[in-house]
Amino acid sequence: MENFDWLLQGFAEAATPMNLMYAVIGVLLGTAVGVLPGIGPAMTVALLLPITYNVSPSAAFIMFAGIFYGGMYGGSTTSILLNTPGESSSVITAIEGNKMAKAGRAAQALATAAIGSFVAGTIGTILLAAFAPAISRFAVTLGAPSYLAIMLFALVAVTAVLGSSKLRGAISLVLGLSIGIVGIDFLTGQPRATFGIPQLADGIDIVVIAVAIFALGEALWVAAHLRRKPADVIPVGRPWMGRDDWRRSWKPWLRGTAFGFPFGALPAGGAELPTFLSYITEKKLSKHPEEFGKGAIEGVAGPEAANNASAAGTLVPMLSLGLPTNATAAVMLTAFVSYGIQPGPTLFEKEPLLIWTLIASLFIGNFLLLVLNLPLAPLWAKLLRTPRPYLYAGILFFATLGAFAVNIQPLDLALLLIFGLLGLMMRRFGLPVLPLIIGVILGPRIERQLRQSLQLGGGDWSSLFTEPVAIITYVCMAILLLIPLVLRLLHRDEESLLIVEDDKDQREKAQA
Amino acid sequence: MSAPEQDLPEAEQPETPERDVDYAQYLVVAVLALVGGFLVYSAMTLSEGFAKVDPVGPKFFPMVLGVAALVLAAILAIAIPRGSKGEADAGEDVDPNAPGDWRTVGLLIALFVAMIVLVNPVGWVITSTFFFGGAATILGSKHYVRNFVIGLILALASFYAFYSGLGIPLPAGILDGIL
Amino acid sequence: MIVIGYTADTFGKAALDAGIAEARVRDTDVLVINSTAGDSYVDAAFAQPAQVRDVRARLSTCGVPFELEQPVGVYAADALLEAMSRPEAELLVIGLKHRNPVGKLLLGSVSQQVLLECPKPVLAVKPDEA
Repeated sequence: MENFDWLLQGFAEAATPMNLMYAVIGVLLGTAVGVLPGIGPAMTVALLLPITYNVSPSAAFIMFAGIFYGGMYGGSTTSILLNTPGESSSVITAIEGNKMAKAGRAAQALATAAIGSFVAGTIGTILLAAFAPAISRFAVTLGAPSYLAIMLFALVAVTAVLGSSKLRGAISLVLGLSIGIVGIDFLTGQPRATFGIPQLADGIDIVVIAVAIFALGEALWVAAHLRRKPADVIPVGRPWMGRDDWRRSWKPWLRGTAFGFPFGALPAGGAELPTFLSYITEKKLSKHPEEFGKGAIEGVAGPEAANNASAAGTLVPMLSLGLPTNATAAVMLTAFVSYGIQPGPTLFEKEPLLIWTLIASLFIGNFLLLVLNLPLAPLWAKLLRTPRPYLYAGILFFATLGAFAVNIQPLDLALLLIFGLLGLMMRRFGLPVLPLIIGVILGPRIERQLRQSLQLGGGDWSSLFTEPVAIITYVCMAILLLIPLVLRLLHRDEESLLIVEDDKDQREKAQA
Repeated sequence: MSAPEQDLPEAEQPETPERDVDYAQYLVVAVLALVGGFLVYSAMTLSEGFAKVDPVGPKFFPMVLGVAALVLAAILAIAIPRGSKGEADAGEDVDPNAPGDWRTVGLLIALFVAMIVLVNPVGWVITSTFFFGGAATILGSKHYVRNFVIGLILALASFYAFYSGLGIPLPAGILDGIL
Repeated sequence: MIVIGYTADTFGKAALDAGIAEARVRDTDVLVINSTAGDSYVDAAFAQPAQVRDVRARLSTCGVPFELEQPVGVYAADALLEAMSRPEAELLVIGLKHRNPVGKLLLGSVSQQVLLECPKPVLAVKPDEA
């Protein structure tokens, strides 16, 4: 199996001292930002993007992947100890985890979260290593029209399905696509939307946009809303679990992984949904349903496994097709673009060593996270004592440092500020951020694909619909767009389909 | 099974007698209109593509996007008075019910502009020290000396780290020759 | 009125005990202040609901009228000095934590600021070595 050889080579590469060091830095950083509410892996990777100008791609990606996985681990620590999720995907963990902590079982909650994350992450990465190359190989055989269709589908999925308002998703998308227009037209050489500024001829540096939207916009928004009252933290010793806890945890771990991975891989899945589904499932299947709501270990094991598996799943479309399905993946794709590596199905063919080193380091990173998180959990809790003014001043500092270091020109700082204000505006008015960044990344590629497809098809629009995959994708896209209309006709709300189950449970409980 | 489902749609959309209209969203409309208008204008000033098999040409995308932006602006402008509101980002550390502390944001922006103007002439170290210290102070930390000391440490560390580690010389400004 | 600067640790407990004793001697009431700057996610000195209950229980059995305030978003020294500026406040009781000069520079010293700036008497106590 050729892939296995590549994986072994990847391990050899990833295990070099330099790369191991980056892996350790990555997972430590990732856990730290996962623990701290308000700062996340997406923002951290964005802040670190400028290092891509000076560090080898494999080192940079190893670090970013470490941050990505680490964020998932760190978030659960805060959820359990503080009842405040460190990451939005850890919201469900907080329900049972914090109750367990209040009942004096914080150590077990942390242990099941960490071990479950490890199990899910490892299985998820194995699945990633198995599926991504296969999908990639299939995708390479697709012609330009099909690939165009898939990219459009990703745009539509992210815009129309995620988030509560399609109008606002569309607005974000259009803004993102517009930003992508700035620059010289690749076919005719004319400058478009460059305002006569020569430095904009290459387009607005995507690093600056990522840092502005994710880091600066977020920092300014939080600055406008700093919360004041500190939360109740539960002191805890080293995490560990008793035999009974193991017995009750291992199946939820596996079920959670099964939920998380597919959702992570789908363009509109995300991590919140599988964790929610895992929680409901565990509640239904549990032999101790009365414990749910008071601290049931299955309610921590399942969702935590789900969110880590979904993180691994997110990497499948990112590596095999070059399609980002969440914010961190989008920022990591930005790094690819910044290195001049073309993301997409050809990635496995053109840069096999890089990709397999990345995958190998995911395994290593996962292992490091388990080893580092179990003994260090009380230490991470101490991190929460950092005063917020310093945290956010630090974010602002690193954002300006990064953006400035790209080209040492104040223009980039001005752009950073402008787009940072855009990011602030988006957060204030509920415009989702993901469609914008996907628009910036995919916009130019879609335009290029479209024009090239038409060129190859001799200028004939119907040539876009010649390939079967293209047709199927367009049909799926149409279905996605029409489902909400159909549901509305049947007088049902989309979310009510999911809430029905849980609501019924609660009514039964209330009557019992 | 049917009873809970029928209850839910009504529960999901309660009728509020007074509309909670968020007029500030017209800012978004303005931005969209600006972007859209600009794109359409710039698309019209581009010359046609000269490749015969490029029926799309460089004008197509900007034009489509410009029109889309204007259309969305119009839709949003109509939707706002009907109570359409975006959900303000409830990040993990944010209390979305509290009114925004825009004075803090304004001060931070002013600090930023000062940095943009001063960074090249005065140098990275000094401007970023004041940037960090100023930002920490604006954000509420009253330990003034400590704020600037930490800023200075970060500024010097980043200056030397970028120079020796990554080979990027950040501007030394008026400290040129001393550092 | 005796003002007690309370923190959720042994220093605060020492201050609480000393303050209550003083209030009994002087036959006056007690104002306990436990403030937080609201800067960090976690503030170990801020009394959480369970601890607040314990403190209130202790105060209600001590025999003097009491009040417990938990101001949020102010610095400890400012909160205590503000309380001391009230006309009925006669004595401030705080727990003293030893900080070396470097610690004082980096972390600040509430006790130092209060001792130097408070115009009325300050009683600084240390917890029992035992």
